[in-house]
Amino acid sequence: MTSSTIHVTRQHPTAVPGTTGRGRPRLSTGTAIVYLILAVHLTVVVFPFLWMAYSSLKSNKNFLASVWSLPTDPQWANYGKALGEGKLLVYAGNSLAVTAVSVALTVAIATAAGYAFVVYRTRWMPWVEVAMLVAMAIPAYVALVPLVATLRDAGLLDTRTGVVLPTVAFNLPVSVLIMRAFFSTVPRSLVEAARVDGASELRAFLRVMVPIARPAMFTTAIVNTIWVWNDFLFPLVLLNTPSKKTLPLGLTDYVGERVTDYPVLLAAILLAALGSFVVYAALQKHVIGGLTSGAIKQ
Amino acid sequence: MSISTRSHAARRDARAALLFLAPAVLFLAAFVAYPLLTAGVLSFHSWDGVSPRQWTGLANYERLLGDRIFWGSLRNNVLVALTAIVFQVGVGMVIAYWLVRVVPRIKRFAMFVYVIPVVISEICIGLLWGFVYNPYFGLLNGFLNTVGLDELARGWLGDRSTAMPAVLVVMNLTYLGLYILLFVAAFENVDEAVYDAAAIDGAGHYRTFFSVSVPMVWSNVQATTLLAVVSSFKTFSLVYVLTRGGPNNATDVVSTYLFQAGFGNFEAGYASTIGFAQILLTAAVGVFVLGLMRRGKRGEA
Repeated sequence: MTSSTIHVTRQHPTAVPGTTGRGRPRLSTGTAIVYLILAVHLTVVVFPFLWMAYSSLKSNKNFLASVWSLPTDPQWANYGKALGEGKLLVYAGNSLAVTAVSVALTVAIATAAGYAFVVYRTRWMPWVEVAMLVAMAIPAYVALVPLVATLRDAGLLDTRTGVVLPTVAFNLPVSVLIMRAFFSTVPRSLVEAARVDGASELRAFLRVMVPIARPAMFTTAIVNTIWVWNDFLFPLVLLNTPSKKTLPLGLTDYVGERVTDYPVLLAAILLAALGSFVVYAALQKHVIGGLTSGAIKQ
Repeated sequence: MSISTRSHAARRDARAALLFLAPAVLFLAAFVAYPLLTAGVLSFHSWDGVSPRQWTGLANYERLLGDRIFWGSLRNNVLVALTAIVFQVGVGMVIAYWLVRVVPRIKRFAMFVYVIPVVISEICIGLLWGFVYNPYFGLLNGFLNTVGLDELARGWLGDRSTAMPAVLVVMNLTYLGLYILLFVAAFENVDEAVYDAAAIDGAGHYRTFFSVSVPMVWSNVQATTLLAVVSSFKTFSLVYVLTRGGPNNATDVVSTYLFQAGFGNFEAGYASTIGFAQILLTAAVGVFVLGLMRRGKRGEA
């Protein structure tokens, strides 16, 4: 992949976006075209959100009269209506509970497992690793029908606990791999020192390793928070009682019921999306780091 | 160290390993492996989900072979995967290269924007795009009317011929950000000296991209392509919220069809057959794609 590869490739005569070669500071035509393409693309990505934000403040009449126009007389009451009629706070509370418990369980279990993969060498370990890799490729919906039957038998169908259990299981493999990747960077000597210190295995793990692993645990927690908070499939199939539903599920119910007042609907969608956005904006670096390590390991 | 202490250490290791791994193994066994095996058993049964199940042998599989909706939904999954490889992995790579090498000044801002749809729930994204595609007051039709292309306006998600492309557009726009993110990280890891060498050679961005950047991150290309394929076969929420698989199953993917069979028509046995067949096919596609990429790599070297 050095210069030899470069010589083999045939020359391409046409100018390509940003073909400035070495020269950096001059704004060439190519660079200008790149800016233009990115500007259009970024607009397409961001405009629906902006449109949602300003349209949510219109009156329904105003909205139907013209989809593009800005609100002339902002209807802040739309947000009150969306919150009240949409029971969004109830749903958000359920999402919060399911997410908090799932993420805490997943991170704790994944940290212990990731540590074990790096520190202990036993003959059956590789098999567990292979099983984890296979589990990552398995779509959750394949397990749905039996899951419903199992959870019903256990009396956990239509409970938040019943959502937490399979959610944790399906998010574990990637989480374990993130934690394992972290522990494999910890100097071997540090691990040995902690273990030889006369401390029990569990104590060495809790007292020495967990504090060191905090950043990686935080990363794992972030990705899991995004996954669980946004998950739709398990709640859709496993929850039925409205007061137990999570935010994405409750939102679809609300939209189904309420087809007439569109700006209020948009306000509800915006409110539902706001939590994720605020967390993302506040913890951008961690979210990006988490998404990167969560995806690469797949 | 004597042999006896070593085996003592090994035993201690095995015991500790078991302790640390037990929770993970239990969760995976109970909520992934067991349901999966049960689905395998159920796939040979006729079952409505409640009353006693009936062994029907291969009947479900025979039905699956002739089920046009299943094959149509599988074709849609393949379409999702192919467009994901082109418009998420491919385009993501180009945009990431631009952000890292051509217009680094807007990199932070652009990444911030591109990742927004990735972190927001697919349900919100899907509902919002429902407004874009709406036949009566949709943004897309509004735009077409404004620029004088009224005759193109339609109910994008209700029209058999445009529904699937419309869904694909949403999917690719939404997840592209993740791939941009991954390739920005990958390109930033490439040693600057390699680019210097290319510059001395007089290589422009086009040649640098194809002869330096892409080969340097080839393992990432493989990993992200695999990720795109695997995720494409997992896709559910966006399709569900945009079209529920309609109109007339035109946008069904395997997940939405399975959901409909299992929880709409209460054919739990047949739904399990769909899921089980899906796993086998996903595995086959995964192996195929990996093989292709190995060959592509060899051909290039």
